[in-house]
Amino acid sequence: MPKTPIEVSHGCARNNGEPYVPQVCRVIDIQEQTHDVKSFRLQTLDGKRPFACEPGQLGMFSDPPYGECMFAVAGVGEDYCEFIVKNVGFTTNHLHELSVGDEVGLRGPYGNWFPYESAKGRDMLFIGGGIGMPPVRAFLRHCLAHREDYGRIDFVYSASTYDDLVCKDDLFNVWPNEPDTHVHVSVYHAKEGDGWDGAVSYTAPYLEQVFAEEGLSTENACAVLCGGPSLFRTCRESLLKLGFAPEDIVTTLEARMKCGVGKCGRCNVGGVFICLEGPVFTEAELARMPRD
Amino acid sequence: MLLKKAKAGALLDAIAAKERLFVPADDRGTSRFVAYGAGVEPRFDLLNTKLPPKDLLFPATETLYRWSRDGADLAIDSAFAETDPFTVFGLRPCDMASVDRLDAVFLTKGYVDEFYQAKREAATFVVATCAHPGRACFCDSIAASPHEAPTADVLLEDAGEEWVVTPQTEKGASAVEAWKPYLEEGDAEPIKAACDLKVDMAAVPEKLKGMFDDPIWSDIGDQCLTCGTCTFVCPTCYCFNIDQDVREDEGKRFRCWDSCMFTDYTAMAGGHNPRASKESRVRQRFMHKLTYFNDRYDMNLCVGCGRCMRDCPAAVDISLIIDRIAASEPAQEKEAMAHA
Ligand SMILES: Cc1cc2nc3c(=O)[nH]c(=O)nc-3n(C[C@H](O)[C@H](O)[C@H](O)COP(=O)(O)OP(=O)(O)OC[C@H]3O[C@@H](n4cnc5c(N)ncnc54)[C@H](O)[C@@H]3O)c2cc1C
Ligand code: SF4
Ligand code: SF4
Ligand code: FES
Repeated sequence: MPKTPIEVSHGCARNNGEPYVPQVCRVIDIQEQTHDVKSFRLQTLDGKRPFACEPGQLGMFSDPPYGECMFAVAGVGEDYCEFIVKNVGFTTNHLHELSVGDEVGLRGPYGNWFPYESAKGRDMLFIGGGIGMPPVRAFLRHCLAHREDYGRIDFVYSASTYDDLVCKDDLFNVWPNEPDTHVHVSVYHAKEGDGWDGAVSYTAPYLEQVFAEEGLSTENACAVLCGGPSLFRTCRESLLKLGFAPEDIVTTLEARMKCGVGKCGRCNVGGVFICLEGPVFTEAELARMPRD
Repeated sequence: MLLKKAKAGALLDAIAAKERLFVPADDRGTSRFVAYGAGVEPRFDLLNTKLPPKDLLFPATETLYRWSRDGADLAIDSAFAETDPFTVFGLRPCDMASVDRLDAVFLTKGYVDEFYQAKREAATFVVATCAHPGRACFCDSIAASPHEAPTADVLLEDAGEEWVVTPQTEKGASAVEAWKPYLEEGDAEPIKAACDLKVDMAAVPEKLKGMFDDPIWSDIGDQCLTCGTCTFVCPTCYCFNIDQDVREDEGKRFRCWDSCMFTDYTAMAGGHNPRASKESRVRQRFMHKLTYFNDRYDMNLCVGCGRCMRDCPAAVDISLIIDRIAASEPAQEKEAMAHA
């Protein structure tokens, strides 16, 4: 049976009220993921989920008097949206000071989403590094919630050290116990006494190793790749080398964002605005875009 | 219908008695669209104002919402407000064409910008044609025409001593209805002027697609000071920043004009900046105006008003840049030559 081509939708914008004005939400849960990553669950003041969204979509988080930051929605529950935030600068530093019960602003959802419809029936190979986790997690959770729609699931995830692995509970306790779901974790640097006895490797060589050892095939597979620029560059090369067609590699882009709705002009790559038509693109689409 | 230029003052007084009216005028050493009232001398002889009219629809700074904090509690109040009707009298055709561009950005592609929309719907645009286009005007080879403005509510065609008045929209028709006491029956021959300065845009949007690595960008980058003047005086440049004013436990979040010519425009945490070099920012400005925008909205993001050329301290001239792009060989040919 010929496989359905992966199709990423880019015409997905919808108007949900004034696009720039956030709703007030309450922080209902905070988890310390690593020394510089925390996850936050947000809920509206009347106890509802702030918005419904598709895996891969974005939310703009604001914490007056500090700034606004765009994050991938890392997961949604019945009555909350979840974000995983790395402390990298001014606003994220203040987000890390939030306590349960604090109120913040949230607007969205923005952007397009992962092609979970056209990927049905495929084996799914997720690849993520460090803070590339949130979007991957959203898509992976979708696949697990609709387990029968997808083939074998593999997740190759790395971080600098064991302590930097985000969502350890999902990685080591939850996902490996899902049917035909295989989680492969590596760290770049082993640290004395951190208790890590698994793979020590950069993501791209580890990906190639896992692919060979597990006897994975590109035949009917879809690869989903999210991570920083160097992880992206190296793993993209590995995937192409392993024989993935550019059409079967799905990834997300990042750019500085302000409006989130394709108006303020700053997140373009060529004629495409990442906040609106992205952040999800196939490698085949990226290859046709200017290297902006 | 005709409007004698000498009698325009009485009409302006009548319009201003009913609603806010903006006219081109000198203002503290510059010229711009100012609210008509005592002491304001309209300058219908100006070709285009030094500052563009975009602030009437898209203010240089505009509050989006106010917030206040009380311990853990946060309150957010939208600053959105309806706008009372207003008239802009004496816009030039290039500037009207710039409004078409802003409409495309703020009102289409999924999200409607309500802050813009409220003002846009409240506005009546009365466009005066240009009998004597200026030296830096090249609207008729890029986006518009000195003697037409299809999207204006009312067109005033310059016929020397008078304007030939033609309503072009419903809004325009009801405006002209109310102007009747100041208009005269009769015929006059509108002056159909053309610009001396021409550009050849035909191949430019396509050619630019193959020019990402062209040496032209480092050349212009070297000339440009990245002061941002060109983007602020441009009637079509619409990029904005969102920032805030903080006073202890309360503040407001506003948007303000921004410029793709500034380094921190695209700077991200950790020092990564996809457009750190002047060359890459200059390329972005011209690519956006002359090819990216075309793909997205089916029109150029330059209307040939000439403002950026007149005001650039480093003499960066978009018309010359278009000439250079038009004269360059397509990338494939260059490659073929390199391999020959
Ligand atoms: C589509 C998208 C999804 C993202 N998802 C996540 C996520 O799930 N988890 C996470 O921790 N981070 C994510 N980021 C990155 C996050 O937005 C930035 O780390 C954050 O904005 C940094 O803000 P700061 O004020 O702490 O940093 P500073 O360096 O102090 O920021 C200065 C300004 O730079 C901008 N900026 C800085 N870094 C980035 C960046 N990497 N991307 C975009 N703008 C930036 C911000 O607008 C900020 O106002 C995402 C970014 C994008 C564009
Ligand atoms: S006005 Fe001239 S010098 Fe200033 S940013 Fe524009 S092109 Fe560069
Ligand atoms: S780019 Fe220059 S000539 Fe073109 S519309 Fe803007 S200011 Fe006018
Ligand atoms: S963030 Fe404003 S256009 Fe994308």
